[in-house]
Amino acid sequence: MKDTDNKPGEELDKPPFFKSWKSMYWLVLGNLAFLISLFYIITRIYS
Amino acid sequence: MRLLDWIVLLGTLGFIVSYGVWKTRGSKDIEGYLKGDNSMKWWTIGLSIMATQASAITFLSTPGQAYEDGMRFVQFYFGLPIAMVIISITVIPIFYRLKVYTAYEFLESRFDLKTRSLAALLFLIQRGLAAGITIYAPAIILSTILGWNLTATNMLIGILVIIYTVSGGTKAVSVTQKQQMAVMMGGMLVAGFMVVRYLPESVSFGDAVAVAGKMGKMNVVDFSFDWNDRYNFWSGMTGGLFLALSYFGTDQSQVARYLGGKSVAESRLGLLFNGLLKIPMQFIILFIGVMVFVFYQFNQPPLFFNESAKDKVYATEFAPEMEALEEQHTVLFNQKQEAVHGLVAALRTDDETAIAAAQAEVQGITDASKVVRNDAKALIAKATPDAETKDTDYVFISFVMKYLPAGLVGLLLAVIFSAAMSSTASELNALASTTVVDIYKRSVKKDKDNFHYLRASRVFTAAWGTLAIIFATYASLLDNLIQAVNIIGSIFYGTILGIFLVAFYVKYIKGHAVFIAALMAEAVVLYCHFYTDIAFLWFNVIGCVAVLVFGAIIQFVMGEKGENLAD
Repeated sequence: MKDTDNKPGEELDKPPFFKSWKSMYWLVLGNLAFLISLFYIITRIYS
Repeated sequence: MRLLDWIVLLGTLGFIVSYGVWKTRGSKDIEGYLKGDNSMKWWTIGLSIMATQASAITFLSTPGQAYEDGMRFVQFYFGLPIAMVIISITVIPIFYRLKVYTAYEFLESRFDLKTRSLAALLFLIQRGLAAGITIYAPAIILSTILGWNLTATNMLIGILVIIYTVSGGTKAVSVTQKQQMAVMMGGMLVAGFMVVRYLPESVSFGDAVAVAGKMGKMNVVDFSFDWNDRYNFWSGMTGGLFLALSYFGTDQSQVARYLGGKSVAESRLGLLFNGLLKIPMQFIILFIGVMVFVFYQFNQPPLFFNESAKDKVYATEFAPEMEALEEQHTVLFNQKQEAVHGLVAALRTDDETAIAAAQAEVQGITDASKVVRNDAKALIAKATPDAETKDTDYVFISFVMKYLPAGLVGLLLAVIFSAAMSSTASELNALASTTVVDIYKRSVKKDKDNFHYLRASRVFTAAWGTLAIIFATYASLLDNLIQAVNIIGSIFYGTILGIFLVAFYVKYIKGHAVFIAALMAEAVVLYCHFYTDIAFLWFNVIGCVAVLVFGAIIQFVMGEKGENLAD
């Protein structure tokens, strides 16, 4: 489902921090990638 | 426990229960009681989702797991943020559009009544049993460590939860979970600060992490692929994703949390909040366990962390053998302490040869200590055959009771009680809403007024709570009960997930086909359980895949005739 697929009434449900939900989802996935990279660095440094 | 601990523990729990009852008093209709009037903001939803998932066992077992196995368990959660994004995109808009009270209600509009009722019944059996274990699991550990009566501990947890859940419904569950999360995270951070503070003055925080690393505990990420390795990057990204999708997308105890949101946006943000913070939260809890491990490199740990189980051996003919093992344990600890100080000194020199030599010395003594510990476990099993020989659940609570000052022990016990209460409250609330909405209101008493269903919701919440307490009270009489409950859960969970995956993603398969497929899948899973040696965790995958495959085949054979009226 795309953001543009919203039914009537759902246009009020915009994310409060970004222009689109897609940006919010990328924030969560980017945070996951950042955490995994950080954990990998920690593992390498302290192994 | 000292007076101050009792004041902190009872004061914290009393405040949370009273606040929950007061803040949500006067629910006048079923909409308010089961969906919190759709008034919840995203941070309440996010905290409520996290509190529901974090049971008491999370705070008792996870630090112990890090003590034994290091940080790698965090990889189990790598699939969770992806699941949050998928559910936000596909599941939430559909639930909101249909204005459902429960996840299973959606199945009637997608398929038919019989499929909805089947999924609801499977959930009630599975979650009804799990609610008893959510109370029993921390109660058995607390009663062992503190010498409390097991039945009284079960009843204390259960009755406190029933009071505010019956009174305020979904809103009371979510409102109290905000305070419970604050207690849980605040308590754990204080415990983490204290354990670092209790390290010897000559050992800095950096030294502690470096020692943990050299002893194999900072193994956060492992990219190597191994089918037999339960926790690595790949199992987290696949198995973790699969589990998170089924738990957050189809389990009413979680679905109810985000259905109470003010809007699609609030619910989505609540789930994404969980996607952002769940992994750091688990990392912190595991890291506290690693710091407890480092603490015990400089302070002698018990030979066996469940000391009450060990003490029972002294009342048997095996007492001299246990005494001899305790002596060996002390000798090895003294040698190890010296070796660990040597490792710290070597790490400061940056001399790789010295570090490797010190590391090898520490490892040698650690291996010898493990042998002694395993001998002690074997002796406990021999002397008291009913005793549980896994003691990792007792590592953290044993540290708390022995080393934390008055007041903080009460706070950490409040953490464990809060966690037990928050997950039990969500379970009772979900069990009651599914019983009322999917069974009672839909198929038993269809034409009653709003007040009748509100009263029925309260009665069913209290009834499920009472059943959970009774189940928790008699749980200890049955052997391997927790495993039995896990097996029962796995027998049903795969089928439920299969039905929902078809509902969301396979439009081709209709009501009759998915219902027959679900029954056949359940038969396959039961066959695997009774006639094969397949490990029960695989039942989740087998049940889910069976629904998808059988559903597609049956729909193909039935053709147009298989289409349900709703379409």
